[in-house]
Amino acid sequence: MKKTHGKGELAIGAVCILLGFLLAVQLKSVYVNSAGDAATAGRLETLQELYNQAQTENETLRAQLEQTQSDLELYRDEAAQGGSYNEALRSEVDRLETMAGLTDLEGPGVEVVLRDSSAANATGSEADYIIHDSDLLSVVNELRDAGAEAIALNGERLLASSEIRCTGAVVTVNGRRYAAPYVITAIGDMDTLYSALTMRNGVAEILGQWGIEVTVSARDLVTIPKYEGTVEFRYARPTATLPPEGEDGL
Amino acid sequence: MMELTGLVLGLVLGFLVPWHIPAQFSLYAAAGLLAALDSALGGFNARLKGNFKLGIFLSGFFGNALIAVFLTWLGERMGLPLYLAAVVVFGTRLFQNFGEIRRELLTSRQKGDKIEQDIVPDRENSPQ
Repeated sequence: MKKTHGKGELAIGAVCILLGFLLAVQLKSVYVNSAGDAATAGRLETLQELYNQAQTENETLRAQLEQTQSDLELYRDEAAQGGSYNEALRSEVDRLETMAGLTDLEGPGVEVVLRDSSAANATGSEADYIIHDSDLLSVVNELRDAGAEAIALNGERLLASSEIRCTGAVVTVNGRRYAAPYVITAIGDMDTLYSALTMRNGVAEILGQWGIEVTVSARDLVTIPKYEGTVEFRYARPTATLPPEGEDGL
Repeated sequence: MMELTGLVLGLVLGFLVPWHIPAQFSLYAAAGLLAALDSALGGFNARLKGNFKLGIFLSGFFGNALIAVFLTWLGERMGLPLYLAAVVVFGTRLFQNFGEIRRELLTSRQKGDKIEQDIVPDRENSPQ
């Protein structure tokens, strides 16, 4: 009896050492792993901070751009004081700026308001009832076909290089995000623009079949803001027949 | 006493070594540990009662831990948290073992008081 007792005690001791060892390793592991989680949270915080920082920087740069543009305006005014050569140059610059979408424009035109469908969901797919980039593009395309001279979406000027692209539930135009309702304004011949959109089997009717609300109204005067960003040509350059100074587009 | 010294020694050793278990195996280790803990208490209990058998103790210690780990693994494969079975069973037995140990220790200690209790029979009912 005594012998079994001693052996048992030894075995229990050994097992307890093992138990303690495992317990300690496990406790340590859990601690280390949760520290990893904390590190992830910390990283998230850092990223958030970086994002905020980038946004602030973005704001600053935009303000700087505005400043530079007003400076440019000043130079132009000064140049206009000069002779007739300068005058010609200035009018050419004005004309090109208008073409490039760098000036505010106004004139007769139409305003198109597109709202997400309020119809009951019959197909089961939510995506069928919200406005997509293709819907907006078809409206814009129709307007261009009808001779629109300037188009803006939610106040964002559409240039030749502007994109209209779904990014999740919103649409990106010129790198900025806009949500429904979408307001497309266009300057051009009122009647032509209006009837181009509202004709039978036209864009408004097709979109209306999905329950998307399309309101087209002709306006005597619509204002279209200028493009707020910069136009840069990093790869394209004029071919050799033109003087190289044309690089900045002017 | 042997149990406590062993446990402390093991804990110190475990904290000193630089290894640690990767996160994905943490659950297995925890399930195995619980089973082992139950077996250790069971062994202690059996020793107090005097019906300790080395073979039974060791096979219980390692066997239960293995089964707990296996259940956890199987549960993960089946998408059913089977390790809960190990947690419930070993958790319950842990309390049971502890209860028996407690009773054993307390009654053996109070055996001396038994005589006094016999002399003053209504001591248990006295409002203390």
